[in-house]
Amino acid sequence: MGLLAPLFLLGVFAVALPIWLHRLQAQSSDRKAFSSAMLLETAKQQVHVKKELKYLLLLAARILLLVLMVFAFAKPFLTVPPNAIISTASGTHLVLVDTSVSMDRAGVFSQVQAEASRAIDGAPADALIQLLSADSSMRLVTALTNDKSTSRSALGSLSASALRLDYGEVMSAVERLADSLPPPVTLHFVSDFQASAMPVRFSDVVPAGIAGFEPHVVGTGEPFNWSVDFLRDNSDGIDVGLSGFGDRERIANVDLLLNNVVVDSRGLSQTGPHVLHFDAPDYEEGENRVVLRINTDDDLRADNNRYHVVDNDPPATIPLLTLNADSLPVTYLSAALESAGDYRVEPMIIGEFDPRVLSRYRWVVIDEIGFIDQQLEQALTEFLENGGNLLAFAGDRAASLESLPVTGHRQSATSVRPQAGDFLSIGQMDVRHPVLSGTEGWQSVNVSRSLSLDVPDGDEVLIRLENNEPFLIEKRVGQGRILLMPASLDNRWNDLPVRPVFVSFIIESARYLSGVNQIPKTYIAGATLPLALTGNSSGQVVDPDGNSVLSLADTTREQQIRLNKPGFYEVYTPQGETVVAANVDPLESDLRKVSQEVLDRWQDATGGQPLAGAGSFNAEEAETVELWHWVLFLLALVVIAESILGNMHLTPRRMERA
Amino acid sequence: MSPFQASRNTARDLLRPEVLASLKNLDLVARSVVEGVMIGMHRSPKFGFSQEFAEYRSYNEGDDPRFIDWNVFARTEKTYIKRFLGDTNSHLMILLDASASMGFGGPPVSKLRYAQFLSASLAFLAARQHDAVGCMVFDEEVRDYRDPSTRSGKLQGVLHCIDSATASTGTKFDKPFSKFREQVSRRGLVAVISDFYCDIEELLAGVRPLAWHGQDVVLFQVLDKEELNPEFKSNVLLEDLETGEAIEVAPQFMRDAYPQRIRAHIDELKKAAAGIGADHVLVNTSDSLDQALRNYLLFRQRRK
Repeated sequence: MGLLAPLFLLGVFAVALPIWLHRLQAQSSDRKAFSSAMLLETAKQQVHVKKELKYLLLLAARILLLVLMVFAFAKPFLTVPPNAIISTASGTHLVLVDTSVSMDRAGVFSQVQAEASRAIDGAPADALIQLLSADSSMRLVTALTNDKSTSRSALGSLSASALRLDYGEVMSAVERLADSLPPPVTLHFVSDFQASAMPVRFSDVVPAGIAGFEPHVVGTGEPFNWSVDFLRDNSDGIDVGLSGFGDRERIANVDLLLNNVVVDSRGLSQTGPHVLHFDAPDYEEGENRVVLRINTDDDLRADNNRYHVVDNDPPATIPLLTLNADSLPVTYLSAALESAGDYRVEPMIIGEFDPRVLSRYRWVVIDEIGFIDQQLEQALTEFLENGGNLLAFAGDRAASLESLPVTGHRQSATSVRPQAGDFLSIGQMDVRHPVLSGTEGWQSVNVSRSLSLDVPDGDEVLIRLENNEPFLIEKRVGQGRILLMPASLDNRWNDLPVRPVFVSFIIESARYLSGVNQIPKTYIAGATLPLALTGNSSGQVVDPDGNSVLSLADTTREQQIRLNKPGFYEVYTPQGETVVAANVDPLESDLRKVSQEVLDRWQDATGGQPLAGAGSFNAEEAETVELWHWVLFLLALVVIAESILGNMHLTPRRMERA
Repeated sequence: MSPFQASRNTARDLLRPEVLASLKNLDLVARSVVEGVMIGMHRSPKFGFSQEFAEYRSYNEGDDPRFIDWNVFARTEKTYIKRFLGDTNSHLMILLDASASMGFGGPPVSKLRYAQFLSASLAFLAARQHDAVGCMVFDEEVRDYRDPSTRSGKLQGVLHCIDSATASTGTKFDKPFSKFREQVSRRGLVAVISDFYCDIEELLAGVRPLAWHGQDVVLFQVLDKEELNPEFKSNVLLEDLETGEAIEVAPQFMRDAYPQRIRAHIDELKKAAAGIGADHVLVNTSDSLDQALRNYLLFRQRRK
């Protein structure tokens, strides 16, 4: 049993009220002090005892009423295993079918159905049977039943997925399930028993609580399969690694497709590892869909395509406002930003800069905030309020000002190290901030000078020096934000620009300020794609078959999208549109089986092991039964009882008063 | 109405418990009560328990010459000493029960407060006749004790001892009375003021040795009118002030059986007191205090 809103349980303290009132009532009852009881005699009719009992009953009803009310608000629920059936003498037979991608071989699934049927038929007549399937997760296909025909007919609904199966994980799930089943539990596992699906530790495939283990091996015979190990794109072209499993020498043909058009082809004469190089095709501007297709008649067709996305967006132009385009800060900033390949820095002289062009950019950089004049300050403020962002540094000119333009930070004093060679290090950092979470090496930065600024409430100090002065400040202005480093990037103030952390800091700052959600382009099938909520929308995903994954309601919530199919997924987010690729796990492509010796050990080791502890049923299909309406019904009964008891209690008092 | 009658009524009014309760000073209460009693008794010089003439005897060396009757000497030229009854009862010990049951009663005064008035009045009355006065406050133990003394300053100590008594715990007579016997060897008057909610035999076990030692024992039984004639309209849960025991009683019982039981208890106590040569005086806290004292003194007079 659990509670959906356990915080409401705090309301149980309200029972103190009726208890307190009861105490008041008890103290003011017609109990009287008397000098001595030695001459008294107990009345034959114990009116007070009855009255006291009635009142205690009334108090109990009131406490129960409050507790039930609190309990109803806490929304209790019960997790009921769907297969909670009474035990039988022959116990339970679990028939577990491997539905991973490696089972998608021609003819294998008919073997699966035959083997599973054999396992079902072989179970004793009074045994309870449950059909399970497993790839990256385990599912209950049928409820626990002794009707064999139900289990057999459910076999027809099974098919291979594009996901990977790990024997260690599935046996762990079986162990948890067996804990809630009538013993003894016998496991029939129908699988191709791939060696690549075995966990590192053999003990992980030995579930406790299983009395008997019977492996049903399908897909016998020498496997033959080609698969793609890797695909990498670089400036020279595309490198592809392939592997051919099986002894048979068969010719395979490899096609490289760019946006559904074959741009190159190669022939493979024999199995084994191969590395192919393709010259860079003529990518279109934007995201390009690259597919490496193996044309062969191997056993497993599902892994013959390798999907990849090449981003060919032109670098975004970043305006860098400066007084001197040849200064050291401009050189450092340009080099750092352009090293990522996504940005192109365009130095603009402040005196010649037309503020009206600011609306073209998502963010701008300024190497010396002190040079901003009044007109530019007004334009930048408007730019920020409308959602633009600013990365700013402060130098000698800013040090001469009482307060900084645009940010409005006031200087308390200028921190100048008294002696040459005396440096400050970084003191504290907010490593959770996106700008700093991916950076390392700040401890090696030496700061000889920085502006000591008064940071108002609402501004966030991301980095502090060891003397507690701010070294990186984030300030929000309207819908935009400013990242301000109160130090210059020339070599006199600090050595940050010549430290490795500088490049990653500038790149992360650029990503943060540009507002682009950087998501990986390539996934293994079964992986999850996070969709963060931006405003009122998280986004939408279209699967390789062209179907929308999310309902309209789901697009307004944060989501974790599971990429179950190989192919290209189109992802639409408030930040823009992108394409990601999902591929079959290469481990599934290796169809070689575990040795018979390992299988025998597995069978010997599984069975007769007691459960380590009282576990709990945790299957996905467990039914949750909410109890609040039953609690409300009980509450209504208690209200009626309380009314009757209250009336009974008050009647004699009214009579006494009368 | 004559002026004398008016002043007498005023003095009598002053002795009602509710009026005395408003007087915080116990000394003043005692003076008021005694003066009121004296008015009622016409200030009889012969009245009292230490001024009554008993006999003449020959003067012997060592006798106080102040007590030589010079009139007799003038007539007979022989020295005789004039002896009074008070010479044998020349001190008063007040034993005040301050158990929890004495806290019952009122308004206007609880039994204990009434007993304090009575004790103070007795003390003042004795001191006025130059008798030594002492007191002992007890419940299950001796809580306070003052030796009998005739010195004027000692009276204030006795009054303070009486005034500071508060009702608590249960009552036992054997242990406090045993200690009292150890303290007082001289014979005199012993006034035990209590509600006597106890086993009579247990009480006698404490009081009887005092009588055997020649003490003149008076048992003042102080009871509230609620104890003598309780009135309840419905069942009520009565809680014993000393034991905490709660008993639910019916109004019929309290109206019919209980007065008989308390009367029987009083009679049994009176009989037991008479059996050991002690006096028993029942005092109702709703009666004015002078009446209680007067009843006692008249009783004493009859006894002489």
